[in-house]
Amino acid sequence: MSAFLQIQAIEKRWAHDVTIGPISLDIARGEILALLGPSGSGKTTMLRLLAGFETADGGRIAVASEDVTTVPPAQRRFGMVFQHYALFPHLDVGENVGFGLQGRGKGDEGRVEQKISEALALVDLAGYERRKVQELSGGQQQRVALARALAPEPRILLLDEPLSNLDPALRERTRHELREVIKRVGITTVFVTHEQEEAFDLGDRIAVLNQGRLEQSGAPDDLYEHPVNLFVATFVGRANVFRGKAARALGANGKGVLVVRPERLRFGAAGLPGVVRERRYIGAAAFFVVESDDQERFEVLAEPDAAKVGERVYVEATRVIAL
Amino acid sequence: MTVRSKRSDLAAAALTLLLAWLVIYPIVIVAADAAHPSALRDFFTRPGEWAALWASIWISLVSVILAAAIGIPLAFLFEWFDFPGRKTLGALIALPVVLPPLVGVIAFLFLYGESGFIARAVQSLLHLQNAPWRLQGAVAILLVHAYSMYVYFYLFTRAGLAKLDVSMLEAAQALGADRRATLWRVIVPLLRPSLVGAAILTFMTALGSFSAPYIFGGGFRVMTTQIVATKLNGDLPLAMVETVALALVAVAGLAILRRTEGDDILVALGKGIAPRPRPIRRASVRWLAAGAGWGLAVLLLLPHLTLALVSLVPYGAWTTEVLPPVINFDNYRRLFSETERLRPLWNSLWMASASTAVAVVIALVGGWLVVRRRVALRRAIEALLALPWALPGTVFAIALAITFSVHAPLQLRFVLVGTAVILPLAYLVRALPLTGRGVLAAYRQLDPSLEEAAASLGAGRWRTLARVTLPQLRPGLAAGASLAFVAALGDIVASIVLYTYETRPVSIEILSSLRLAETGVAAAFGVVLMLVSAVVLGVGARR
Repeated sequence: MSAFLQIQAIEKRWAHDVTIGPISLDIARGEILALLGPSGSGKTTMLRLLAGFETADGGRIAVASEDVTTVPPAQRRFGMVFQHYALFPHLDVGENVGFGLQGRGKGDEGRVEQKISEALALVDLAGYERRKVQELSGGQQQRVALARALAPEPRILLLDEPLSNLDPALRERTRHELREVIKRVGITTVFVTHEQEEAFDLGDRIAVLNQGRLEQSGAPDDLYEHPVNLFVATFVGRANVFRGKAARALGANGKGVLVVRPERLRFGAAGLPGVVRERRYIGAAAFFVVESDDQERFEVLAEPDAAKVGERVYVEATRVIAL
Repeated sequence: MTVRSKRSDLAAAALTLLLAWLVIYPIVIVAADAAHPSALRDFFTRPGEWAALWASIWISLVSVILAAAIGIPLAFLFEWFDFPGRKTLGALIALPVVLPPLVGVIAFLFLYGESGFIARAVQSLLHLQNAPWRLQGAVAILLVHAYSMYVYFYLFTRAGLAKLDVSMLEAAQALGADRRATLWRVIVPLLRPSLVGAAILTFMTALGSFSAPYIFGGGFRVMTTQIVATKLNGDLPLAMVETVALALVAVAGLAILRRTEGDDILVALGKGIAPRPRPIRRASVRWLAAGAGWGLAVLLLLPHLTLALVSLVPYGAWTTEVLPPVINFDNYRRLFSETERLRPLWNSLWMASASTAVAVVIALVGGWLVVRRRVALRRAIEALLALPWALPGTVFAIALAITFSVHAPLQLRFVLVGTAVILPLAYLVRALPLTGRGVLAAYRQLDPSLEEAAASLGAGRWRTLARVTLPQLRPGLAAGASLAFVAALGDIVASIVLYTYETRPVSIEILSSLRLAETGVAAAFGVVLMLVSAVVLGVGARR
C-alpha cells in the first residue's frame, strides 16, 4: 500500500497553548479516511490544513510525492464539500458546478457544459442545471456541493461533516449514495465526522482524534475490537468499563482495566452478580442496565425477555478487551 | 506571524493613516487654530454667537419632538391596522427622506412661501393687498424639519414594531395587564432602542441642517448658517471658533442620547413573530383612516408636485395669477441646450460619481481588513469610517477649507481649495459612513466558507472577489453607494463653502437662479435632481 496523500508530523499552534498535532497519517490512493473525534479534537483544523485554508506551523503534506504544504488552496486541486455546502446563492446549479471548470482553462464552452451535466448525472441530478440552489432540498444541495467539488477532477476530496445538515431519516440513505459515488469515481477522500456510525459506514479506515492528538487509526473492526486505549474504546462504540473486583469476576487476570461491549455480555449462572435496574427496549433486543454490588452500572444487550427489572442476575463476558 | 497577516497589518496601517488624514487631521487643525485669543474673545462676547448656538440646540430638540409626534403615531397606524391602500401609502410617506434637502426646501418655498401657491390662493380669495404671511424664521425652519425628519421616527418605529414578538404582548395580557399597561410597560421599553436611534438621527440631521435655515432663516441664524456667513465675511479665526463650538455640541448631544439607548439585549430577545395588522372593523373608522392616510400622502407629495409645476412656467410669465397662465418646457430646453447651464449638472454628476467610487473602494478594503483579516487596527478603521457621521457637514467643510488652503507638504497639507479636487474630497468624507456601514454589515453576513469554496475550486483572489464576494456584498454595497451618491449630488453644505465658479454644483446653481428670480430654472434643476436621486435610490434598493 503506497501512500498517495502523506501527512507528516503536521502541527498547528493556536493561541493559549492549544496545539494540534504533530499528526502523521498515510492515505492510500482511492482510500476513504474518516477523521473521527469529539468537538474540539482538531479534526476540522486537520481538514482545513489539508485544504490549505490554514497554514501549518510544522510538518509536511504531500500528494503523490509532491509537497503541497505551502501551496495556496486555489492551486492545490483539492475538492471540498463544506458543512453547510457553501453553494453560491447568486448562481444556479449549473453555474455552481461549472465554477471550478472555468478558471483552469479546460477548453471550450461545450466541453464545460458537458462536464457539468456529467457531474450532475453522477449525483443523480441530471437536468437540474438551471435550478436555483435555494429551491433544492437539503439532500439535493448536498449532492450539488459534491458534484461541484468533483467536477474539476481534484486529486483529493475533502468532506466536512457531510451529513450533519440532513435529517436523520435521510442520513443513512445519503451515506450509502455518497460512498457509492466516491467509490465509482475512485477518488482519495478524507472526511470529518463526530459520529461513529457515519465513520464506520462511510470510511475504509478511521483516524480517531482527541485533544489534537491522533489516538489510533485503523479499519472499523480493528478499532472496535482492538482499541489501544480507553478513549478509543469508549468513543468508538458502546463500552462498559470494569476495574478491580468486577474486572476479575469477568475473567481479568491482571490489575488492568477491562472493556466489554454490551453485546459481549450475557446473563448466566455464574460471573459478576448484580441487579437489573432498567430495561430499554429497542425492538430486536433490549439494553439492560445492571447495577453491581459495588454500585457500578453497566449495560447488557440481550434478548428482550432475558431478564426483568429488579431481578438478581449473574453476568458473564464472551469477549473482553484488556487494557 | 505569517506573511499574509503581516501584509494585511501593513495595509491596515496605511488605510488607518489615510482615513485619519481625511477625517481627523482637518478637525485637529481647526481646533488648534481656533485657540486664537482675539477670535475666542469675539465669540464669547458677541451676543449673536450665543444666540446662534442656542438656536441650533433648541431648533434641533424641537425638531426631534415634532418629528416624533408625527412619525410614531403614523408607524403604529401603518404597522398595526389594516385599511385600504395601507401598503402603497406606507411606502409613499417614507419618501421625503430620500430627496435632497435643498429640493425639499425650495419645493416648500414654492408651495407655502409668501409668493407660493397657498399664499396666492388665500390672497385672491380674501382680496388682500399683500401676501397673507411670510414663511420665515424659526417656525418655517421647524415646519420643514418636521416635514422631512418625521420619516426617521416613522421608519425606526415600524422596524421596532415589526421585531416585536406577539407572544410577549399576549404574555402581558395573560398576566392581567390592560392595554395601557401593555403599552407603557412592554411595548415602549422594547421600542426604546429604535426610538433613541431615531432621536439621534433626527437631532444630528437637524443640528447639521443648512438649506432650511439658509433659505427660510432670514435674520434668524443657527450655527451652520452663522459659520458660513462669518466665513464669507472673511473672519476666518471666528469661523473656526464657531466650527469647534458646533462640533462640541454635536459630540455632546450624541454622547447624551447614546446613554439613554440602553442594552441591545431587549432587541435580541424579541425574536418571534410580529403581530399581524388588525383590520379596522367599523366601516366608518376604516374609511376615515384610509381617507386620512391618502390626504396625508397628498399633503406630503404636494411640495414636489408644486416643484414640477413651477419648473414648467417660463421666466417672467407668472406674476399675480393664482395659477400659472403659461406652461411649457422652456426651462428644461434652456437647461439642456446652454452649455453654461448644463455645466453644474455635469459637475455634480462627475463629482458625486468620483467620490462615491472612491468611498466604495475604501469601504471594501476596510470591510475586508476588519471582518476577514481581523487586523489589530480594526476598531480604529471602523471608528474612522463612522466618524464623519457624528459631526455636521459644515464642520468638515470649514475644516477642509482651512487645512487644504496651505502649501506645507511636510505637514501633509496641500493647496486643494480652488481646484477640482476639493469638492469630491469633501463629498468623499461625508460618503464614508454610508458606504462603510453598508459594506461592513454585508461583509459580516457573508459566510466565509463561500470564499473558501471558490478558492478550493481553483479561483484566485481576483476571480473570487469578482464572482463570489462582490455579488454577495452587492445589496449592502448598492444601498450605501446610492445613498452616498444622492447625498453628494444634492449637497449644499460643503459646496457653499468650497465651490469655485468652474466647479459649481447644481445646488449652488439653484441658489443663484433663485437670487436672479429665475424660479422656473431653479425648479427644473430641482426636478432633475429629484428624478436622478429617485432612480439611483430605486436601483440601489433593488435586491
